[in-house]
Amino acid sequence: MPAYITRRVLQFVPTLLGVMLLVFGLFSWIGGDPAYLLVGKIPNPEQIENIRRQLGVDQPYYVQFWIFVKQVASGDFGASWATNERVSAIFATRLGPSLIVLLPMLAVSTLLAMAAAMLVAHVRGSLTDRTIMIGCTVGQSISILVYILVLQYVLAYRLGWFPVQGWGNGLAENLLRYSALPIIVGVVVSLAPDIRLYRSFFLEEINQDYIRTARAKGMSETRVMWVHVLRNAAIPIVTNVMIQLPGLLAGAFLIERFFSIPGIGREVILAVERSDFPVIKAVTVYVAIATMIINLLADLLYKAVDPRVELK
Amino acid sequence: MALALVFGCDATPPPHPNSAPGGVPDKVLRVTFQAAETGFDPVKVSDYYSGTVIEAIYDPLLTYDYLARPAKLVPNVAQAMPAVTDEGRTYELKIKRGIYFAPDPAFKGRKRELTAADYAYAIRRFLDPRNRSPYAFLFEGKIIGLDELVSQAKKSGRYDYDAKVAGLETPDRYTLRVRLKAADLNFSHVLAFPLVGAVAREVIEAYGDDSASHPVGTGPYLLKSYTRSSKIVLEANPGYRGKIWDFDPGTDPVNREIAARMAGKKLPLIRRVEVSIMEETQSRWLAFQKGQTDIEYQLADVAPTFMTEDGKLKPEFAARGIKLDRSVDPEIIYLYFNMQERIGGELNPVGGFSKERIALRRAIAMSYNVADQIRIIRKGQAIRAEYPIPPGVAGHDAGYRSYIQYDPRTANALLDKFGYRKGPDGYRTQPDGKPLLVRYSSTPTERDRQFDELMKRSLDSIGIRLAIHKDRFPELIKLENECRLMMRGAAWIADYPDGDNFMQLLYGPNSRQTNGACYQSARYDERYEKSRRLPNGPERDRLYREMTRIMEVDTVWLLTDSRYRNALLQPHVVGYRKHPVLHAEWLYIDLAAPSGR
Repeated sequence: MPAYITRRVLQFVPTLLGVMLLVFGLFSWIGGDPAYLLVGKIPNPEQIENIRRQLGVDQPYYVQFWIFVKQVASGDFGASWATNERVSAIFATRLGPSLIVLLPMLAVSTLLAMAAAMLVAHVRGSLTDRTIMIGCTVGQSISILVYILVLQYVLAYRLGWFPVQGWGNGLAENLLRYSALPIIVGVVVSLAPDIRLYRSFFLEEINQDYIRTARAKGMSETRVMWVHVLRNAAIPIVTNVMIQLPGLLAGAFLIERFFSIPGIGREVILAVERSDFPVIKAVTVYVAIATMIINLLADLLYKAVDPRVELK
Repeated sequence: MALALVFGCDATPPPHPNSAPGGVPDKVLRVTFQAAETGFDPVKVSDYYSGTVIEAIYDPLLTYDYLARPAKLVPNVAQAMPAVTDEGRTYELKIKRGIYFAPDPAFKGRKRELTAADYAYAIRRFLDPRNRSPYAFLFEGKIIGLDELVSQAKKSGRYDYDAKVAGLETPDRYTLRVRLKAADLNFSHVLAFPLVGAVAREVIEAYGDDSASHPVGTGPYLLKSYTRSSKIVLEANPGYRGKIWDFDPGTDPVNREIAARMAGKKLPLIRRVEVSIMEETQSRWLAFQKGQTDIEYQLADVAPTFMTEDGKLKPEFAARGIKLDRSVDPEIIYLYFNMQERIGGELNPVGGFSKERIALRRAIAMSYNVADQIRIIRKGQAIRAEYPIPPGVAGHDAGYRSYIQYDPRTANALLDKFGYRKGPDGYRTQPDGKPLLVRYSSTPTERDRQFDELMKRSLDSIGIRLAIHKDRFPELIKLENECRLMMRGAAWIADYPDGDNFMQLLYGPNSRQTNGACYQSARYDERYEKSRRLPNGPERDRLYREMTRIMEVDTVWLLTDSRYRNALLQPHVVGYRKHPVLHAEWLYIDLAAPSGR
């Protein structure tokens, strides 16, 4: 096991290097010259040169990339080009709001999707199964933007059940008051694809020999489903949830923008709009590292749950 | 529903913050920004939103009368308007005594009085290379000795704030004397620029690179709390000297009504201003309708929802007591042609001053339907721009009519006359028979795609083949500064409300800076230089009209439009009028106790 972990951690290095090369290349190629964004309305060549020098974009590409490598190694990505705020401070202050919304959202959507998926898998081929699957297909094909616009309008504006938007100072206020509607939107959006995916996990388990054996031995259907099927299907489900998390942090920008949540996703969009490379670099690298670590943990979890799994 | 009950059921609107216990109104104004601020160090920002907050915190020497249109300069911290001598080369101002900075740990418990040296320091900071100020151009090349200080800093690596600058003197604690290299009758506008407020050197040195989060000024508000890109809370500065609302309403009935309610009141009347960053139009619109915000002016996308076609508030909103303040932004939007004969090494089909090239530019300009742009893209929320100086800005000529009007038939006739013949494919060639391809540059945004389509339709109507060149905004600016774009749509919003700020956009020496067309006309430049030596008045206006006609005859620009700014106000907002260049109107307004809420 330690050898396996060491090997996987060593594999992080070339993967991360690939990610860094990709983001660096893309930004250098299509990112545009940031000096022209920062110089103001009336630029002059001296000022543009001064900005380029201060940002380091006047250096040869290999020097800029080496600086990037050192930043990743030290974990210090410097300051935002647009606001001069330390990148570490951006993460420290924006991560909390994102997690306040995303963790409950993931928990609720996972539980609901698991329950629904188990139900439809159990009655596979029935009218209930077909109806829910058609509903999921339709639900999945609707843009998240439509969900946000409609739910914000109906639940917050028309019915007045939630604030239209906003963010407060305390955890309880944010979780119970301001995050409720964003969580509902997130749950509604993820429910359809999750049910479809989890249903396939449950079906795979239901069709296993050990389930047939359990039934043949007279075990109650409730016990078969809730103990044996659920326990085994839960492994790929948990893996799937964990793998989603890093991407969700950066990808929840639409929910954060519409509900004015000062989270990471919104900051990523701001950074892209402002060509704020230090923030873009940091987000890309952190998401890549988090994804790799979570993948490793998921593999270890497989092994822990099912000793037959061989780690190579 | 169940979740709504578990979580924050919001069926009852939260109490309005102006309904404080005991009946004493605790005046809290709630407004929104549609984009995030970047910080509050005056020399380091260029965005509208940061500038608005800075305006509420810092005090420039001069400011503008709240109601006068065109905008009129008035003293702020200065005791009087500057004494301008030496034919506009020397400005001397005396500042009021007994004005103090808001308390801050940087002052180590002492009361810190505002002095003329604080303004001299603030001005020096704009040219400090380390600050890379977007507004350095306000002072670059203008003040005697200041550019030399920058040159020394480049050599030594240190910008010396203690070095003597001949053009920036403080003969005594309360007097600032600025000596310019050349006469500039508009320098008073620079001194009224909201970013040119006094900063205390101790504060800047104490906070270093984090100065953008620690604004300390002498203005009406101070920063109470700040969550970046999310919420900015300002509170009335308890040490503020106060102002009395004493503006002349003139004959405007709305202004007179405001004056009747506001005259004689001590400002500021709003105790607290809460600014929320809301990027999405739907969120801002719903929040305003729910009464969660008091003023909302960033709703152009949904304007037809609350406005009639003739620019009035729809009756259902008026019935709720909501008010509309409508004004035209001090901006011009225009299409420019690159006037050079060549772009890089290639011939520029739209450049130069031959009759054929002028005819081509004129025909393109006449084929472009500005009315469609306003109706379709702006959703009716703009006016046709006829003159390079927009309404509300000194020098604007409301009676001026451009020679260039939409007329595709005449445009086609003009091209036929000057030898641009149509080929079998329906597209024209150049008079010498070579292919004709016009390149129009824009960014890859949804809004610009609409402009591309309109341009394509226009040029198709006169048989000119169009190529759309797409690039990111900074790259377009870079190419523009190298005079390498053939045609592009541009906009200019007033830095200060004087015609000079607009007429300089076509001044030859400003090519590769603000003159995107790279227009070089001796006749235009001669008049522009003469206008710089004249104060605002009939003689300068005459020159501006001549310059505009010269530009039209050469057909350098097609002026298209200036956008409306529609501010929606809740019934309890009193005294609001959008000012052309002041954006933190919070200082001048009041909130009546909300009724029926």
